[in-house]
Amino acid sequence: MSDDVMTDETEEKTPGRLGRIYQGRTTVDFVGRKRTWFTISMVIIVLGLASLGIRGFNLGIDFKGGSSWEVQTSHSTVAAITSAAEKAGLRDPTVEKLGSKTYQVTADINSLSADSQTALINKVANSLAKTAGVSTNQVSVTSVGPTWGSQITHRALEALIVFFIAVVAYISIRFEPKMALAAFIAMVHDLLVTVGVYSLFGLQITPDTVIAILTILGYSLYDTVVVFDRVRDNAGGILKSGDLSYGEMVNLSMNQTLARSINTSLVAILPVLSVLVVGADILGATTLQSYGLALFVGLMSGAYSSIFIASPLLAIMKEREPRFREMAERARLRSDQRVLTPAAAALYAGEGAQRLARPTASSGPRPRSAPGTLSRGTIQARARKQKRR
Amino acid sequence: MAQQVGSRRSLIVSLILTIAIAFGSLVATLSLGWGPKLGLDLAGGLSVVYKPATHASTADMQEVVTILNNRVNGLGVSGATVNLQGKNVVVSVPGVTDARRILQLVGETAQLLFRPVLCEATEAKKTDAVAKLPSCGSSYLFSAANLDVNTSTGEPSNNISPDPSFSNIATTKPNKDNPKDEVILPYLGESGVRYVLGPAQLTGTAVAKATAGQNQIGQWVVDYTLTKTGSPAWDKVAEANFHAEVAIELDGVIQSAPLILPSQSAFTSFNGQGEISGSFTESSAKDLAVAMEFGALPVRLNPLDTVTVSPTLGHSSLVAGLGAGLVGLLLVLLYTILYYRALGLVIVLGLAATAALLWAIISALGHTAFAPSFDLAGITGIIVSIGITVDSYIVYFERLKDEARAGRSVRTSVDRGFRSAWRTVLAADTVSLLAAILLYLIAVGDVRGFAFFLGLSTLMDVFMTWYFTRPLVILLGRRSTSSTSALSMVAGLTPGVSAHE
Repeated sequence: MSDDVMTDETEEKTPGRLGRIYQGRTTVDFVGRKRTWFTISMVIIVLGLASLGIRGFNLGIDFKGGSSWEVQTSHSTVAAITSAAEKAGLRDPTVEKLGSKTYQVTADINSLSADSQTALINKVANSLAKTAGVSTNQVSVTSVGPTWGSQITHRALEALIVFFIAVVAYISIRFEPKMALAAFIAMVHDLLVTVGVYSLFGLQITPDTVIAILTILGYSLYDTVVVFDRVRDNAGGILKSGDLSYGEMVNLSMNQTLARSINTSLVAILPVLSVLVVGADILGATTLQSYGLALFVGLMSGAYSSIFIASPLLAIMKEREPRFREMAERARLRSDQRVLTPAAAALYAGEGAQRLARPTASSGPRPRSAPGTLSRGTIQARARKQKRR
Repeated sequence: MAQQVGSRRSLIVSLILTIAIAFGSLVATLSLGWGPKLGLDLAGGLSVVYKPATHASTADMQEVVTILNNRVNGLGVSGATVNLQGKNVVVSVPGVTDARRILQLVGETAQLLFRPVLCEATEAKKTDAVAKLPSCGSSYLFSAANLDVNTSTGEPSNNISPDPSFSNIATTKPNKDNPKDEVILPYLGESGVRYVLGPAQLTGTAVAKATAGQNQIGQWVVDYTLTKTGSPAWDKVAEANFHAEVAIELDGVIQSAPLILPSQSAFTSFNGQGEISGSFTESSAKDLAVAMEFGALPVRLNPLDTVTVSPTLGHSSLVAGLGAGLVGLLLVLLYTILYYRALGLVIVLGLAATAALLWAIISALGHTAFAPSFDLAGITGIIVSIGITVDSYIVYFERLKDEARAGRSVRTSVDRGFRSAWRTVLAADTVSLLAAILLYLIAVGDVRGFAFFLGLSTLMDVFMTWYFTRPLVILLGRRSTSSTSALSMVAGLTPGVSAHE
């Protein structure tokens, strides 16, 4: 296994993009190209909010009130199920096929009295069971009063507000208030993106969606904290040398955590994808679908916002502080932005006392074109073939 | 240079202990045959969320929980729970094959019944259920003649002993408690005391109001007012049972069985009002007053959300949830091995140990009343936490690569890398735990199960990072002397010397 790696490196002086991430030689200018990232997010959010204003949400029965019946059968059709429900006396039923063999019948019967509701629910259940060829016990019934959804939402909002306050307080104490603010904005970003995507694609909002969104915010924050922890680390280290502006330092931190961010996002998204594809589609557990969708959208957004939203925001806010403004000014005058590769920075940190000498910093106008020129010769993989002294 | 994170000896001890605890507890729970307590969306079953129709105090709602608990348990299904969540009462009955019948029995407003006391039955030694109860022996009858009430003391002159012919007959089950039949019911708060009661002669609808209070001599009594139609009906019952006992039955339990007008020598009309006295305490008097006035519950309950899940649907959800979790886990393992090569094996072993310990804890918690049942939301919580758990390894391994790039030897890298990674893991896991705890405390319904299992696996992550990953990787790192050792296989992990050429 190790041989593969080494031949890769020795034969190919400039590895592909993946290889660069793997070896910590990326120089993506996260902070400098903030306008691009912000524009992408704004477009998605504005689209989502516009759709929300025009179409609103596709609310599940938990929010509207109503009853639903679910039955599993492999030999029936939507039409047959609909006529069975109507024959039982159900007006305007909505029938959907979920997954491969689950049929869901939904209708609002809250205008009926409690007794006739119970009677109708049983009648429909019996009729569906007969059509599907199963016993009545195999029909799952959910009936929801009109106020249940608002109660869940109310509780979720309460949890959300308390969570926001606690988290901002925690990050302010553990890190610093500006990081808390940047992380908070990234969280709001994820919330808006998820909500917008739900409205855009007309996905059904259920109480499970609300749970999932709360998790997304927790995860988004978790991810931002990991990234910011690196920024704090560098702020106490490489930033002190005075050779890098705050923005350049944040950039370095992002590149340093890039491999981790990509790996973690993949590792977090793979199981969620499995929930969506294996759980909901193949095995037909429809409850999993609403979790999975929200989590999928949210995790992507959460991973994106930690790097592309929270970090540039932090850099912008910090560079307004007098002590960092000057450094940023100097960096601009220098005309060449320093985008250190993580590998180069690691070497620099390892050598400790040695100052970051100017000629060793990357000097290309497009930082992307000059990957890790600092001390390049000394850290090339060629050395790996040699035995330790 | 850097101080070492723990001595070799303590690292080995911690590693062996962790692995032994993880797999030992899994073997222990498996051999005990313990499994997780499945939620109703996995086992199939019934869940109803009730909301009080009018404003209700917390004490009222706790009363509701107690009453509903008795009712659900009386139905003889196991694993049923009644919880207060905020102002709502949640009734869950998992694993029920005939959910709709149970729903009707639980949702029904149980009636308060007035039944004449026929005789006292001895404690049941065997519990045979009989279709029709035998009659009480004539000498055991609680008739006015047998009791022979002394109007000056207000007490019966004769002490009638329990009828032994009922000792083999079971107490009437709540679902067999038909108002038109004779029944044997227990007496509230008196263990083993059972009365044989006649068919109900009046229901709780006759009572307009009942309050607990103290009479002139400081005894706790219950004063009640009857409705317009209830008043003559009650007079009829009272006259028929003059100087005998009338039991007040609620939910299959005798709340009280007062003697009718024991200090009067002849029956007179109650005129719509009455007072029950006896050996009441403050709380028992209040309970009786509540029972008489509200029938079953201190407040009327409206069902907000009723869910019945068929056992087949539950089963297919369980299979789907576990299937999705396993496939997801395999994908993650495959990826980490491809990316980290030999170090990926550390993740595989670590996740196996975490999974073993987690399963053991969930199974053990399933045997306590405390833990929420393991439902789809919980499975999702755990699936999400796979990302968080593996992230701790990723953070550490990426730090390792950083340290090695800085030209440090593998030996120092593992120590230094762990120290910075540990700080990151702690900070990030605190946020995750904070979210889980807040969700658990504030949210309702399924969210709590989700938050519980997310929080549990986050704690596990902190535990495993310190007691498993740290010793294992550091020990591996200290063993590695050549660049071809396991740890050096991580890309970019170049032995320190080369950078100083």
